Amino acid sequence: MTNSLLFGISIFVYFFSMVLYVSYLAFRSESLGKVATLTLLAGVVVETAAIFLRWFESYQMGIGRAPLTNLYESLVFFAWTVAIVYLIIERKFKIKTAGAFVSPFPFIIMAYASLTPNEIQPLVPALQSNWLISHVVTCFVGYAAFAVSFGVSFLYLFKVKAETRPGKQEGTFLGYLPSSEVLDEVGYKTIAIGFPLLTIGIITGAFWANVAWGTYWSWDPKETWSLIVWLIYAAYLHARITKGWRGNKAALLSIVGFSATLFCYLGVNLILSGLHSYGGTS
Amino acid sequence: MPEDNKVKQKQTDVIDKIWGIFISLRLVVILLLVLSVLSIVGTVIEQNKPPQEYYHLFRPETVELLAKLGLLDMYHSWWFTSCLALLALNIIACTMERYPLIMKGLRKPNTVLDEKLEAGLKDSAKIRYSLPSETVEKRITAIAGKTFSGAPVVTDTESGRHFFYEKGKYTRLSFFLTHLSILIIFGGAITGSLLGFKGYVNINEGETISAVKVRQGQNTDLNFSLQCNSFNVDYYDNGAPKDYRSDLSVIRNGKEVIRKTIRVNDPLSYEGITFYQSSFGSIPETVTLEIRGRDGGSLGNVVAPVGRQVDIPRSDVKIEVADYREHFHMQDGSEAGTVVGVNIYRPGTAPEGVWLFEAHPDMNRHGEYSFVVKNIQLKKYTGLQVTKDPGVWMVWTGSVLLVAGIMMAFFMSHKKFWIRMEKDRKGRVEVTAGGTTNKNKHAFAAEVAGLIQSFREVSK
Ligand code: HEM
Repeated sequence: MTNSLLFGISIFVYFFSMVLYVSYLAFRSESLGKVATLTLLAGVVVETAAIFLRWFESYQMGIGRAPLTNLYESLVFFAWTVAIVYLIIERKFKIKTAGAFVSPFPFIIMAYASLTPNEIQPLVPALQSNWLISHVVTCFVGYAAFAVSFGVSFLYLFKVKAETRPGKQEGTFLGYLPSSEVLDEVGYKTIAIGFPLLTIGIITGAFWANVAWGTYWSWDPKETWSLIVWLIYAAYLHARITKGWRGNKAALLSIVGFSATLFCYLGVNLILSGLHSYGGTS
Repeated sequence: MPEDNKVKQKQTDVIDKIWGIFISLRLVVILLLVLSVLSIVGTVIEQNKPPQEYYHLFRPETVELLAKLGLLDMYHSWWFTSCLALLALNIIACTMERYPLIMKGLRKPNTVLDEKLEAGLKDSAKIRYSLPSETVEKRITAIAGKTFSGAPVVTDTESGRHFFYEKGKYTRLSFFLTHLSILIIFGGAITGSLLGFKGYVNINEGETISAVKVRQGQNTDLNFSLQCNSFNVDYYDNGAPKDYRSDLSVIRNGKEVIRKTIRVNDPLSYEGITFYQSSFGSIPETVTLEIRGRDGGSLGNVVAPVGRQVDIPRSDVKIEVADYREHFHMQDGSEAGTVVGVNIYRPGTAPEGVWLFEAHPDMNRHGEYSFVVKNIQLKKYTGLQVTKDPGVWMVWTGSVLLVAGIMMAFFMSHKKFWIRMEKDRKGRVEVTAGGTTNKNKHAFAAEVAGLIQSFREVSK
């Protein structure tokens, strides 16, 4: 299968972009930073080609469906959205330093995906729905935004600590980071992108469940965990407008929120069971 | 102060304090986090399983304790429901508290840029022009009109001519949308659970039903009948089902009112009741058995309709087909293929129930007879999930409002912008401009700076 070859190449490219972003932070060389961004972009281009090729190949096999329906495909799509959302945020807010914390995600996710079965399989009837695409796409772009916010929130915590101990920042990577206010703001802005998307993702999922099974909410573990993630980010949003919860506590909630997101996505399948088709690695 | 008043004072203090807690964002944050932790518990302890599964997992005392605490059906427990109710009260209190403030934001604003207003504006500037005032007015209103679509409110006072622009006034309502929509969703869920039902029914191909089994095990009569005209399945090459569909007719007073082929993801609705394709299967209609005597010689075939006793030839023994399994598992877990469960009635003794194996006739000797399963005539049935949920439209309405409200809250704001034109002592045109917004002030400051820059360039 040629799509796997392209996916394999993208893993390598993502690996190099991660190395470059970390070196950029370590050596603080602008040109390294530029190369890091271009490498990540190259990874995205290769992966985009791979995804479309897989889509095309599924049609050649007579199955014909968007590549979004099993664990492998969802991991691949997740890596792709994290990289794209990060590139957009980096460009918009000029925070290349967050790259060292975000660029490992596409690499690790792709490397993990390469360990899961990747044949193109036909869809069981319940998954043959247009709601599937809107549900999966909105959820995953939301998750990707949360991943970026997670990286930025980490930076925020480092930076705030450094700011309270003045004088020691110069010459370390901490001095190179944007101010804690900017990091707080970017952390919030990315969640402000992710939260509505997750909301739409949960609603389209509920709508689809209602069409397919006649219940929009059945408290299955996947649904419940997506609600948990949603509640944590709702708490984050209100924490940020509360005196005394702004800053540190909000950043912690963003980190907790993304940990819950990862659990919702992978932990539920690997540890808990449910209706969802990504179940196990079968 | 008289004693009486003091008591009253104290009471209002307490009420104020409780109110203060209810509208505090701290409570919201804590409540949302408590709800998420409780929900986690509900996914770790699997909910609503058959009791034997819990006894398999935990010690009996533990199961009883969990059941008593409501942890085996916690999403319906009093304490989980109370947390949701508390959240609802919290939202109502917050909405009441913010109502006047939001309404104030919607009231007709000051359309005149007077000194007091000017002093309060952060992003404002003064520009002098040596152009005729008509030219200046034409050019700068053209620029401002591009950013704030729509005509300005123009007011002439003795201090000069004032232009007022406004955009996104109604986005101030986003608070109501985001928060009240959650109450609407709750309302929909409550309506559905009080007035709706969830049920299940199997219909054999060609047959008609007029009642369904609901969760609690009792039957609910429908006001109409539902007929399954036919049922079909397509398979992929690997044997997985690709598509299954039932051709259904709704029949009322003997007449067909709707006919539709339903499939997974494409249900049929009639009078608020929806039928979802959920499962399928087949059950035997008649089974043909060859009966052999002690010596192995054939005594002939019998055709046994399911559930009816038929005579074994040349004897007073009767046999009845009562059960059927497509994939039968032996005690050691191995699969033995298709089996038919029969009861053998010998005069004067209790009936004997045995399994007859289609693939292993050698295992089918029972007393003086042995049996060969010759043919099983199957009939297909379709399994339908049946739901009535009169609250579901509220859930979707609330959902749409929620998304709209969140989008508005995050990506839109109420912007106000004023321009004042006057003549200074030397007779030059002096323009003062500035604006305010309720959200995302950094971005707005940049926008205003851009506008003012364009105003400056007018005289070039
Ligand atoms: C599940 C429940 C809730 C959800 C999903 C929710 C959602 C939201 C969202 C999306 C925002 C906009 C955040 C922003 O502009 O940055 C917000 C703001 C706000 N929420 Fe909630 N909320 C919930 C419960 C509550 C409750 C119970 C209260 C009452 C104390 C409350 C009070 C507020 C306030 C005061 C704001 C700020 C509004 C503003 O800045 O104009 N929220 N909420």
